[in-house]
Amino acid sequence: MKVDRRTFVAGSLGLAAGAGAAAVLSGPEYKINRRRPRSRVAVLRAECYSHSLERILWSGLQLFDLDVKGKTVLLKPNLVDYIPGSHINTHPLLVSAAAECFRRLGARTILVGEGPGHQRDTELVLAESGMADALCQQEVRFVDLNRDELVRTHLLATFTDLKYLWLPRTVVAADFVVSMPKVKTHHWSGVSLSMKNMFGVVPGAKYGWPKNILHWKGIQQSILDICATVPVHFVVADAILAMEGNGPLNGAPRALNKIVLADDPVAADATCARLMGFEPERIPHIRAGAQFLGNSSTARIDQLAELVYSPAMPFHTVPEFEYLRLSTVHKIDFVNPT
Amino acid sequence: MADSGRERDAYTYFVGCVSPRFKGKREKRSPIPYLPTNCLPPPLMRFCGADLTIRSIASKTRHMDLTLSRHDCCLEHLVHCQLENGGWPFHPGGTQAAIEPTALALLALPPEFTQERNSAIRFLLEIQNANGSWPAFQGDDSGGSGFTGLAVHALQKSGATGPAIDRTLRWLLRSQGWEAHWLWRWKFRTTDRHVRFDPDKFGWPWMPETVSWVVPTAYSLLALTRREVTSQRDLAEQRRRLGVEMLFDRMCPGGGWNAGNGVVFETALAAHPDVTAVALLALSTEPMNGPISASLEWLKNRAETCRSPWSLGWTILAFHRYHIPVQRWTDILCSVVDPVGIRDCATLAAVCLALRCLVVTDVFGTKL
Repeated sequence: MKVDRRTFVAGSLGLAAGAGAAAVLSGPEYKINRRRPRSRVAVLRAECYSHSLERILWSGLQLFDLDVKGKTVLLKPNLVDYIPGSHINTHPLLVSAAAECFRRLGARTILVGEGPGHQRDTELVLAESGMADALCQQEVRFVDLNRDELVRTHLLATFTDLKYLWLPRTVVAADFVVSMPKVKTHHWSGVSLSMKNMFGVVPGAKYGWPKNILHWKGIQQSILDICATVPVHFVVADAILAMEGNGPLNGAPRALNKIVLADDPVAADATCARLMGFEPERIPHIRAGAQFLGNSSTARIDQLAELVYSPAMPFHTVPEFEYLRLSTVHKIDFVNPT
Repeated sequence: MADSGRERDAYTYFVGCVSPRFKGKREKRSPIPYLPTNCLPPPLMRFCGADLTIRSIASKTRHMDLTLSRHDCCLEHLVHCQLENGGWPFHPGGTQAAIEPTALALLALPPEFTQERNSAIRFLLEIQNANGSWPAFQGDDSGGSGFTGLAVHALQKSGATGPAIDRTLRWLLRSQGWEAHWLWRWKFRTTDRHVRFDPDKFGWPWMPETVSWVVPTAYSLLALTRREVTSQRDLAEQRRRLGVEMLFDRMCPGGGWNAGNGVVFETALAAHPDVTAVALLALSTEPMNGPISASLEWLKNRAETCRSPWSLGWTILAFHRYHIPVQRWTDILCSVVDPVGIRDCATLAAVCLALRCLVVTDVFGTKL
């Protein structure tokens, strides 16, 4: 059959359009499914940052059947920068309490790792935030994930078109990853919780300070690709003194007096969002994450310890994210086996 | 013979922390090979107490002794961390060489360390991407990284010339932050205005397909400032000018620089000491002006409470370049630095460079 140039060009254009439409319609793919029938979340009361956190955390961890014996546990706190008087980082006392608790649970090695997004001098942040002293007392090793050795890792989801990321060897080799976010609002992503906290595993030495490529590829999409690829096995969220308004750096402190534990990052983030007075389904990475990374629906979350109430006054946000706020105050209707 | 007493002192400090690998090499060199002979004080002065001037000189000499002994320890540790391939990893004991620690180590090695320097130069040239840029680390993708400017600056200061350097310069002239594209510039002018900056003033990104940030722009300016680009001189000057303007545009309101934005969501962001110092080094060929003075002042205030070797090291380099006396800061640096306790070769190299400020005039090579 003879094909003239016009037919060839038209055919090619048709094929390209068809392929493009198929790509759009098929949407993002994920090669894993970590969504379990049920997830467990415990909300613990903690009035302030003190050495009693270890006792509170230990009692909370007993509610979960965690098996970390002989494993390398990586604690990933949120350590952004140090601004005197502000509460932007996961508190050192909570991190050191978690290190001690996981040690008591039988972990072979405890590591604390973080790659601050803006601050290149990680040692400065560690020293000035008090984290260095806390870890020194616990004799816990800190790994600067911004400058760790890197392993090319294929992404297990395609919400961005990145296909792979260079990830720190420490993260890839860890047996058990604990995301330890500071509960706060975020002016680009709405909230910064356990899933957003995983931005910190992306190394600055490759992607820069900040990790700007993730912004260009879509923050919500990048969160999903990272969390699909680096499994979060457990969450210990610092909601004792949270942050509202212009987070992650310049918001105002907001006392919630809670620590949130969960065996599922999506369930943890959905619960934290409710505690902040937000509707989790309106947060894109929680909504999409609920399809394959965990559960956001209260019907699939076993609520342990305290009940969850959304606050009388939802957290303040920048104007772009005011739509996240719940309009009415209500108790969240969980299944509560305890 | 007149200097033998001082040399023996320095050597004693040095031997106190010598590693087997370094010790072997060290025997072939003079104790302080990089120290210009005219910097060594006559030994008589060290024992005269009557004259205040002489006493003051003696005191300064002791300071210098301590600083240089600390420098020697850091340098020894740095040399010990060099990989077989000539590069340096970030973490001592690591095996994956990275560009930033390697380039900083090359700058930090005194000229007499010929073998180590040649090996580092060879490594950098071998790992260069085909397009002229440098990756961020060994095995990285070939698109180019924000450390390219630093790599070529280190090579240029080491006397390297030739097609590899020219290729890099051409790549630097092509590489630009995404805000340089008309579409994104339009976006930042119309719909995306939460970050206050002028997208007409752009510099260099950390990696392709992202916008400009302060550190890669400063590193690139260092490279372009030193280099005579004969074929594209106008373009080079134009890019250099834009980069300088970008740095001034992105300055934090109180002086100094953050990663890249001074004001976000109408809130002023805090500056960072290391980024501020790198930016000041890159701007050191500009005439002194208000923003530079304000940033130096901010850096002085911040340095009072800063006890991190990385930030202090860069701060000293910037002060030294602007002729601000650095002894107070090198003393602080010596007090906080434990050479074998530094877990990062880039920091180790920055500390070596900073401590050499007492004996070398243009340690970072920013003078034209």
